[in-house]
Amino acid sequence: MPLFLAMYASRVVLKMVDMLREREIKKAVRDGYSRIAKQPSCCAGSCCGTGSAAEISRRIGYTEEEMLSAPPESNLGLGCGNPLAIASLRRGEYVLDMGSGAGFDCFLAARAVGPEGMVIGVDMTTEMVERARENARKGGYRNVDFRQGELENLPVADNYVDVVISNCVINLVPDKRRAFREAFRVLKPGGRMIVSDVVLKREIPESVRRSKEAYIGCLAGAVTVEEYIDAIRSAGFKEISILGESQFPTECLPASIDKADLSRSVCSLRISARKPA
Amino acid sequence: MEILVCPVCRGDLELEVFEENEREILTGRLTCRSCGEVYPIEEGIPNMLPPELRERR
Repeated sequence: MPLFLAMYASRVVLKMVDMLREREIKKAVRDGYSRIAKQPSCCAGSCCGTGSAAEISRRIGYTEEEMLSAPPESNLGLGCGNPLAIASLRRGEYVLDMGSGAGFDCFLAARAVGPEGMVIGVDMTTEMVERARENARKGGYRNVDFRQGELENLPVADNYVDVVISNCVINLVPDKRRAFREAFRVLKPGGRMIVSDVVLKREIPESVRRSKEAYIGCLAGAVTVEEYIDAIRSAGFKEISILGESQFPTECLPASIDKADLSRSVCSLRISARKPA
Repeated sequence: MEILVCPVCRGDLELEVFEENEREILTGRLTCRSCGEVYPIEEGIPNMLPPELRERR
């Protein structure tokens, strides 16, 4: 076989391996979170500490009033927290929550933007969307709309929302650059994105990277701060700034993972960025 | 409706309603006007996952 053909073939094979791996990761993530969605209220094995969802949320920085205002079933205690994003919302704004889960942040956002605003929640897990919708129905929310979709292929029109929020989800997406390009696409010019997520301060061991549990627990899919910021920048975002950093709770990760070492390598960040006007 | 687009090609979608109540559409389907892909609406939830990721239920 000529060399160029062999090189081409090997590149095709590598690409296929990547695609298979991405699909496998997606399935693991969806199965993991669909299990979580079926539990009454939980924290088991996801990106959060031990304790009740309310306790976790308090620690993250949500106020008591916020927690009381959203349906309690919508708070699964899974996020690394995005209270600043909620605090920045103004009445009448259109908001997209990437990875909306059972809807906690969406309900807080819905209250903040009021009836003249609107909140769209996208999540790829059937059970999560069902649960979110049920919570919206119970809470009588009329300005929140949940739909099942993938963050790398958002079912949302171009230049549509004022704000994109996301709470501890993009780390689960195999193609982060593409997810940020989608966030950029759906934002109106001048719109802003405020995400919180798990990032690495240094590389984690290969054994952790390969663990599905660690992926679902927001670890194996996490990238370094530099890579994360670079993915945001390459999507076209400007005014990128790190609003805050907090420790990543490692309590509920599988026992096989060395936690002392990990807590030095991982943290949760809150980042804001803007689509140029 | 105008906010939903086809996740594959970003085309406009055409809505068909099979079942609805006074508040929302319960069952139906969305068809992309550009690429023809069909997205089901079941129990009020539009399933906008690209076809290869959709769960068979």
